[in-house]
Amino acid sequence: MLTGKVSKMSDNMIKIGDYIVIQKQNFKKLHKYNKPNSTITVGRDSINLNGIEGCRYFSTFKMISKSNKKAREYTVELTDEVVNLKDEIEIKLSGSDNRNIVDDGLSQKLTAAEIEDLKNDANRASDIIESLITNSNTFHNKTEFSQEKYLKKKEKKYFEYLQILKPNLRTIAEIMYKLEPGKVQNLRIDTLSQIITTVNIYCEGNHLLYDSGSNGLVAAALLSSIGQNTNGRLVHMHPGNMSQKQALLAMNFPEEQLKRCISVNVYSALRQFYQGCDTNSNENIKEIPITESNQLKRKLVENDNEPRRKIAKPDEEVSEPVIDELKENSNKGDPKIPKWHFDNIYAAQILEKKLDSLVITCKEDPQNIFLELVNFIKPGRPFVIYYNVSEPLQNLYLALKSQSNVAALKLTSNWMRNYQVLPERTRPDVIMNGASGYLLSGYVLK
Amino acid sequence: MSFRNYKDKVDEGDTVILYLSNNLYAIDVKTEVKNKKGETIENVFQTPFGALKVRNLIGIQYGSRIELSKGWGHILQPTPEMWSLTLPHRTQIIYTPDISMILFQLDLVPGCVVIEAGTGSGSLTHALIRRVRPEGHVYTFDFHEHRSKIAREEFEAHDVADFVTAQHRDIIRDGFSEELNGKADAVFLDLPSPWLGISHAVKAIKEQGGRFCSFSPCIEQVQRTCLVLQENGFQDINTMEILQRELKVTKRTIPVRDLSFLKHKSSESPVEEKPSGDTSYVVAARPVSTPGHTGFLTVATLPPAFARSKAKKTKTEDSEDTDTSNVTHGDR
Repeated sequence: MLTGKVSKMSDNMIKIGDYIVIQKQNFKKLHKYNKPNSTITVGRDSINLNGIEGCRYFSTFKMISKSNKKAREYTVELTDEVVNLKDEIEIKLSGSDNRNIVDDGLSQKLTAAEIEDLKNDANRASDIIESLITNSNTFHNKTEFSQEKYLKKKEKKYFEYLQILKPNLRTIAEIMYKLEPGKVQNLRIDTLSQIITTVNIYCEGNHLLYDSGSNGLVAAALLSSIGQNTNGRLVHMHPGNMSQKQALLAMNFPEEQLKRCISVNVYSALRQFYQGCDTNSNENIKEIPITESNQLKRKLVENDNEPRRKIAKPDEEVSEPVIDELKENSNKGDPKIPKWHFDNIYAAQILEKKLDSLVITCKEDPQNIFLELVNFIKPGRPFVIYYNVSEPLQNLYLALKSQSNVAALKLTSNWMRNYQVLPERTRPDVIMNGASGYLLSGYVLK
Repeated sequence: MSFRNYKDKVDEGDTVILYLSNNLYAIDVKTEVKNKKGETIENVFQTPFGALKVRNLIGIQYGSRIELSKGWGHILQPTPEMWSLTLPHRTQIIYTPDISMILFQLDLVPGCVVIEAGTGSGSLTHALIRRVRPEGHVYTFDFHEHRSKIAREEFEAHDVADFVTAQHRDIIRDGFSEELNGKADAVFLDLPSPWLGISHAVKAIKEQGGRFCSFSPCIEQVQRTCLVLQENGFQDINTMEILQRELKVTKRTIPVRDLSFLKHKSSESPVEEKPSGDTSYVVAARPVSTPGHTGFLTVATLPPAFARSKAKKTKTEDSEDTDTSNVTHGDR
């Protein structure tokens, strides 16, 4: 039996509207490819992406200087050959150690101005580096390993190729964390990966997430594990007018899958659940977001410039028959009832039936949020709470220990180390990341 | 049966997890079992808190508390994570922190086809199945015939057999089965000599490319694996190590010793050298003894076929031979 992901050929082509990942050596960047000749900045280079549309993902492009190199403006050209410096430059001589190498600042015969000219005139990166090496007094005395390290360093500086990749959870999490860990609550990939497994997310069931500051990363992680064309649903609660969904959008989820992430304001959804809501009174509807935005002033997220009102397209409603019916009824009164209103009703219906897991990744103190939301979780189901320092979770741990409605409470943190693996030179990376954040996990009891 | 979908109540035939003061036990819910003499007797599970009549579990809600003669416990529905902690060990197993990273690094989502070698005790296999179902499939191989058979029976018993194919096969010697050529989204190897499996992995991975991950306890294995990955056109090769630490949370009251009064002459003499009071903290203590190493995870991307060849020509003049004469079939 061979089944598997049905992937159309067109899925592997770069399309306008896609989120794409630009990779230049070890640097990765996320970009929404909105128009054919959009421009991205990588380091100090400004690169025009005209021409990548319709190419296959994983294609490599050569950066072509637009006019003079000083401007650092480039266009791209599809290529199927990446030239490695190591293969282009032949090193004939190496030293055995560094006893004769003195750092007197005189080893390079070329002056700074000459190197600058060289950079502007040379066609290929290897030409520049070859001249640098030829004019260096010491390069040939360096050991083979040290020469390789030098070339690698220079290659990084002069590398002229980039690759376009299709974003997925791994690349998005990595990019967002590297770019600005604070914007994803310092949620490191190992900890993120454990959130998904700890609460047993899979294609079935209804899952509850409260997230106030991961830019949609946790929702993206959970929804990706719930999968395409499955029955699983995610109720994504957030404070403020609209959910943060940068990572969620960057996943390029199909509409069908994205619809199963029901993003609701936590106040509205709980108010809907406990108090119900008069669907015909548009006064009510208008009031809710205003009071809430006053209560919780949040900055709008970058790239997330689609206010909830705009997304509201009554024609593309959730296909739940109940919702359709509701919509029909209420539309008579006011044709402009926003989508979030139906999302709240939908979420409240799911809460009514109780859910199969609870994930909380918040900036606020997790205690009250947990104690409220745990009521919606079925007995025997797992929960996990993430916080980037341990103290709030320690307090919650003690509070929960004194009650008897949870079991198997566990507070954990992670340690992760990357390695350089090279012949004769295998060792841990010099810098490691020490901030994994903390997870408090357990099971809900009857 | 309880491994397949969320359930509310315990049925006969389920495997349930008994949670008993920080210990987990897996129990097969069968009302009767055979004793050593072959006689059918009532199934009673002995716990440190007293005997548990398994029959009484049927019909109770998952998450319920059950009373034992010397205490109480709770009944939970098993997840792959709980299974990893309770399963019968036939080999060393991979635990949840590594499993989580493996699933993450292999880019697995529902619908993926993933290959695993070897099957071992099926700890990772359960997690793979959970992630790729319902449309995806796990192909798992082990060169140990009996292990493979037991794993197959376990998947049947857990009602997940339709998501997994467990085969007895020495994949280093024989490769993955022909029918898998170009079918896999991801390949995972946990073998004594993973580098010898890489050419097979390349064959099995889809034309549109895929991910590779190898778990090895020793760094020498990692070095050889990385070289061979490079020779075979893999990119983004990365090696990492993950450890999870549990913190013990307690409220601790500690004495406070006041020394400031010594600056001045006191009427009381001699001074009592006793702490002057106490203060309390909620502390999270790191464990004194904790796992220091499990294994290295080496991950890599195999680009789509059209983008593969160009990366192949990296200098590997000092590469290790990859013929079988060099293999150390040692224990890990």
